[in-house]
Amino acid sequence: MGLSKVGVVATAQTEFRPSWNNAQHIDLISSVVTSVFKGSGLTIDDVDFIIDSGSDVLDGRSISNCGFLGALGAHHKEEARVEEDGLWAALYGVNKIRSGSASVGLIVAYSKPSESNVDLYWNAQVEPFYQRPVGFGQRAANGIQAQRYLADSGVSTRNLADLVAGRWAAAAASGKVVIDDLPDADAVLSAREGAAPLTDLMFARPVDGAVAILVAREDIARRTSRNPAFITGMGTSMDTHSVAAREAGTLSSAAKAAAMAYRNAGWTSPDADLAEVSGSSVVGELLAIEALGLAQAGKGLTAARDGKVAINRSGGALPADPIMATGLVRLAEASRQLSQPELFGGGTPSRAIVHGAGGVGMQNNCVFTLEV
Amino acid sequence: MGRHVGIVGVGQTHHSRRRTDVSQAGLVREAVDRALADAKLSMEDIDTVVVATGPVLFAAVNQPEKWVVDAIGAQGKSVVRLTSGGGAGFAGALAGYYQVAGGFSERTLVVAYDKLSEGQLQYSISTLYDPFWGREFAVGIMGFSAAYWRARMDVLGHTEEAAAMVAAKNRKNAIANPYAHVKKEVTVDDVLNSKPLCWPIKLLDVPPISDGAAAIVLSSEKMAHHSTSRPAWIRGMAYCCEADNAPERSLMLSEPLALASRQVYRAAGITNPRRQFDVVEVQEPYSCFELNYYESLGLCPPGQAADLIASGATQLDGDIPVNPSGGCMGANPIGAVGVIRLIEAATQVMGKNESHQIKDAKTALVQSGGGWANLRGCAVLSA
Repeated sequence: MGLSKVGVVATAQTEFRPSWNNAQHIDLISSVVTSVFKGSGLTIDDVDFIIDSGSDVLDGRSISNCGFLGALGAHHKEEARVEEDGLWAALYGVNKIRSGSASVGLIVAYSKPSESNVDLYWNAQVEPFYQRPVGFGQRAANGIQAQRYLADSGVSTRNLADLVAGRWAAAAASGKVVIDDLPDADAVLSAREGAAPLTDLMFARPVDGAVAILVAREDIARRTSRNPAFITGMGTSMDTHSVAAREAGTLSSAAKAAAMAYRNAGWTSPDADLAEVSGSSVVGELLAIEALGLAQAGKGLTAARDGKVAINRSGGALPADPIMATGLVRLAEASRQLSQPELFGGGTPSRAIVHGAGGVGMQNNCVFTLEV
Repeated sequence: MGRHVGIVGVGQTHHSRRRTDVSQAGLVREAVDRALADAKLSMEDIDTVVVATGPVLFAAVNQPEKWVVDAIGAQGKSVVRLTSGGGAGFAGALAGYYQVAGGFSERTLVVAYDKLSEGQLQYSISTLYDPFWGREFAVGIMGFSAAYWRARMDVLGHTEEAAAMVAAKNRKNAIANPYAHVKKEVTVDDVLNSKPLCWPIKLLDVPPISDGAAAIVLSSEKMAHHSTSRPAWIRGMAYCCEADNAPERSLMLSEPLALASRQVYRAAGITNPRRQFDVVEVQEPYSCFELNYYESLGLCPPGQAADLIASGATQLDGDIPVNPSGGCMGANPIGAVGVIRLIEAATQVMGKNESHQIKDAKTALVQSGGGWANLRGCAVLSA
């Protein structure tokens, strides 16, 4: 049975700021839900369903999607809340269209960590009886991953700082991320300790913002979008909860997710033109690059900056991590780079890899392949 | 439509007020083990897993699927969590349905649970309300539900007695349900004379607070025969919403449920629900809601739910039995309830219901929902 192809018709995102202190969640959401239709010829009336990602914990509100239904444009439509990074919401939407029961879907993810305590958000995810009392969380997990990575790969903290500075510079150049003081490598190295050997600036920076993506059945995508990117493969995998029990020095669940996505897409190798990759720290990004098959173990650094696959031209997650929306932002960025290459230095890119992650130490991973 | 999807295995815990012998992860494991055994499968045969729970604040573990994954041996698989308040289990099953229907998996395990003894339930629900405009007067979900019922009394002339009949029916049905934990027959007068909590809601109109989990295995048509010769096929399934701030929102008919049932009935070829369904399972967080569902699902004309319950048609021996399992009145682990209702309906059409098998049941209707009564869905199952 031929399953219908699903295309990305349009994307919209707010500026990402450390704090959108003059806007509520509904303002950020309605801003992208309104602007995503511009130029597509479609309206909210054409949308069959809405899948959204956000966190009750970050929002400080139970069933927070319930309070945002109006802003989401969901009134009298089918709506679902995936409480994981927005790339999983996109996965749900693609499945729904592929099943033939819907034609056009709106995928929305948002984040307002400035109103929350992000460390507690992570601490509340760890095992409640043995790990939570000792304060284990995202910082510690990333610090341990980084120590191991540096020991195995010979990469130095200076190398890490160079990559971080490059990512922030790319984000600043994109104009989509608010950066008050652009850090150079020295500033990254001399920042406050995050979790040794990582400084604070080597972690992904939580930001407020929202992103919306309009997905549609192939024929609709072709009629409404000039050069739509099609989602050709999807894979996800969740690793064990216990960080200590995970395979060290690698993100095996990201590798499994990638293998699944490439198999779905009929790819025999990850020879994409570009990739948008998430990472909860700079080492997390390197581990993801390696797990996606874009570099050998321990060799992610070269691929990250100068490989033949253009990775994170947007700057990626390090300068702008709207928690729960970061992976969906990667999908938006990659699809724009494929559909409108003239805005990104030209060329004729045809294939992209998109990666999203969730959980402490990137326990859960999701990979999409995009093609034009 | 895409590929056919069937329920080929089911399992639920023996629900209780407080399970101190297991953690959330252990509770989930029990339901999963039973569902896999029922489907004659092991975790290796499962492609993807969907976990569903109520709001995180209910049990204070953020993104608990990431913890639970180890207890059910699903490490390495595709695992994602859906949440939608009271309808979380149903919303999770719908996500699983689309994973199979859309070709992402051949077999998907959906497990839904809540361990409500570990949190402050009504406090958690109160945080549902708008932080600036709604929380000053928020008292959990009961105040809202009382207003909902009161509006129906004022406009339709429905009485407290009509809802009391629902409570008495479901509580009686729950006695034979091996998984229920509230098993006490009550009369309509007992319900009417029970302690007012938020008038017109009284103690016996309200289901218990429970710890429990429920799991189903969804399968493609190709793989279903490995598990059973008689799957419960999902003929249609939808879950719609209405925005809380819609000024035209009606407290009479549930618009999202009417929308969902219209979609689902069209997909399933249902033109006369009262005649075509052999059995119905609904999620009634308060007794009055079951009356609303009768009308919104088209089991009776708008405004006539009180007449329908009074006629006896929805009793076990009526022509359209509703909640032969006892519904939420027997057990109410909120996030799990959507899947429990699916299980009770699926086992009816599979011919193996453990509470009250309705003779020759072939087509069943399932309703579930959550939020401020603004998230509502239904599904049609048939053998």
